[in-house]
Amino acid sequence: MNIWKISIQNIKTKPLYTFLSICILALSITLLLGIEQLKHSFKNQIETNLGKIDLVIGAKGSPLQLVLASVLHLDNPTGNISYSEAKKIGKNPRIKSVVPISYGDNYKGFRIVGTTNDFQKIYQAELETGRHVEKSMEVVLGATVAKTLNIKEGDTFLSSHGLVENSVDVHADELTVVGILKPTQKVIDRLIVTNLESVWDVHHHEEEVDENQTEHHHHHYETAEEEKEITSLLVTFKSPRALLTFPIKINESTNMLAALPKYELHKLYEYTSVGFQTISWIAYLILVMSCLTIFISLYKMVKERAFDLAILRTYGASNFQLIKMVLYEGVLIAFLAFALGFLLVKIGLNYVVDFIASKSQRNILQELPFQEVLHLGGLVLLMVIFSATLALYPIIKMNISTILSHEK
Amino acid sequence: MVQTRNLTFQYKKKDAMFRFPDISLEKQEHLLILGASGIGKTTLLHLLAGVLQPSSGIIFINEEDVTTLHQRKLDQFRGQNIGLVFQKKHAITSLNVLENLQARLYCSKKPVNQNKIDALLSQLDLLQHKTSKINALSEGQLQRLGIALAVIHQPQLILADEPTSSLDDKNCKKVIELLIKQAAQTEASLIVITHDHRIKSYFQNTITL
Repeated sequence: MNIWKISIQNIKTKPLYTFLSICILALSITLLLGIEQLKHSFKNQIETNLGKIDLVIGAKGSPLQLVLASVLHLDNPTGNISYSEAKKIGKNPRIKSVVPISYGDNYKGFRIVGTTNDFQKIYQAELETGRHVEKSMEVVLGATVAKTLNIKEGDTFLSSHGLVENSVDVHADELTVVGILKPTQKVIDRLIVTNLESVWDVHHHEEEVDENQTEHHHHHYETAEEEKEITSLLVTFKSPRALLTFPIKINESTNMLAALPKYELHKLYEYTSVGFQTISWIAYLILVMSCLTIFISLYKMVKERAFDLAILRTYGASNFQLIKMVLYEGVLIAFLAFALGFLLVKIGLNYVVDFIASKSQRNILQELPFQEVLHLGGLVLLMVIFSATLALYPIIKMNISTILSHEK
Repeated sequence: MVQTRNLTFQYKKKDAMFRFPDISLEKQEHLLILGASGIGKTTLLHLLAGVLQPSSGIIFINEEDVTTLHQRKLDQFRGQNIGLVFQKKHAITSLNVLENLQARLYCSKKPVNQNKIDALLSQLDLLQHKTSKINALSEGQLQRLGIALAVIHQPQLILADEPTSSLDDKNCKKVIELLIKQAAQTEASLIVITHDHRIKSYFQNTITL
């Protein structure tokens, strides 16, 4: 027998109260941990995907949309730009490297990106098996794509038009998988990478077919090099100084749009963090409420069991031992709630992300660093100890004699 | 064993002052303190138990002046040397019979001897209720558990506050006989305060307040 055992027995005699206290505290812990994890994942996703991309150049439209489409590969692109014009920009001496990307198709919801082999360098993605794309109609798969769709090197598939999975608008040309990339935890994991020619070839054929069918023979067909288009150009500068002037120059003197991904994504993060903050506040509020519940439960116990506590004193227990007894009850509830909350986050968040995110975004979830979990655990423990201490006040003021003489 | 001199007690400055007759009790001697309600019987018992501090006067228990002991020392002294028996409530409700006895020994810092617990429980006819919850016990059983809790740690002094007042004649007789028997077994002095005249005949020393 010791103080711990007495605390546990005290808890066992009021199962409903204990259960409710644990549930409400666990709920707030779940929310707080969940929000932190989502926030962390989101931030992480943005930061790692940015890589070395200083500037994105694409068709006029919303800069945020351009960045979302070309950097995070989430939104639809703003339109297309001329490849020859884009190439001209690439020759500027202040530019270190440019990577063109071209969209148009998907396979089962995963985007097919036409680009150069430099694209993989942005994400430091290495080949797991196979080789890089060498000619048109060859593709390399991101790790998540290969795993989810269970496609291997040497397999072929037909892409469908647009960025959303559909079975109506399927292209006739087969794409061949020549390589699979190692997992990077970056956006490239859920992309199908090919060269620019593949994207052009697929759409070029179709236009010809369309034109034959509708007999628009009078339409002047320009040579391939002239009309080649890409979605956007990912630019890395030699020095950050170019960030100040170069985008303005593009936006003013060309019909293209230059967007700074760092700036745009920071703005996006600011917008969304308002939502995160609101939920955080709600979670903190629930935490306060649950601590109040624990306080009431312990305070009630101290008041109702005044005689039990007084009797323990006559047995020789010190005030300090009684305080420990009540504190242990609070700490035990906090510990159980934290374990439950942690478990709920582990299970719940994966389920929620599965539910709301499309297949291609599942690897967005990042583990919350241990330090954050510890930080929150410390906060909860502190709050619980605080509420327990308030509940302890009657013990400190306890007059054993009065309690014992009122037992009758 | 127990000596008091010029004991007085006042709850608040303006309240009437209780003055108590001096008590002098040898080892293993028993004492009955009789008195009507409100005369300060329980106050005297609490002074003897060190639960209350007297306004003036001294209390020697086992050659120790308990009025000079500090809080923590006093708690320990009480836990090890004194056993208290109450009128109605006796035990901690969240623990069962056995756990109560174990908790009592733990708080007194005395070793838990399972055989001794079993022997005591069987003497008090409680062995079959060893794992019973406190709420499940009858009044007579509760009173006997109260006695068990007051003697399990081998105290020098047993203080009983109206132990028989709420019991019928049959149980009253049983409880007072058990108390005297247990006091003898642990070689303890027994002080009973009561207004219950039924138990007068069991005591040689009587004080009427």
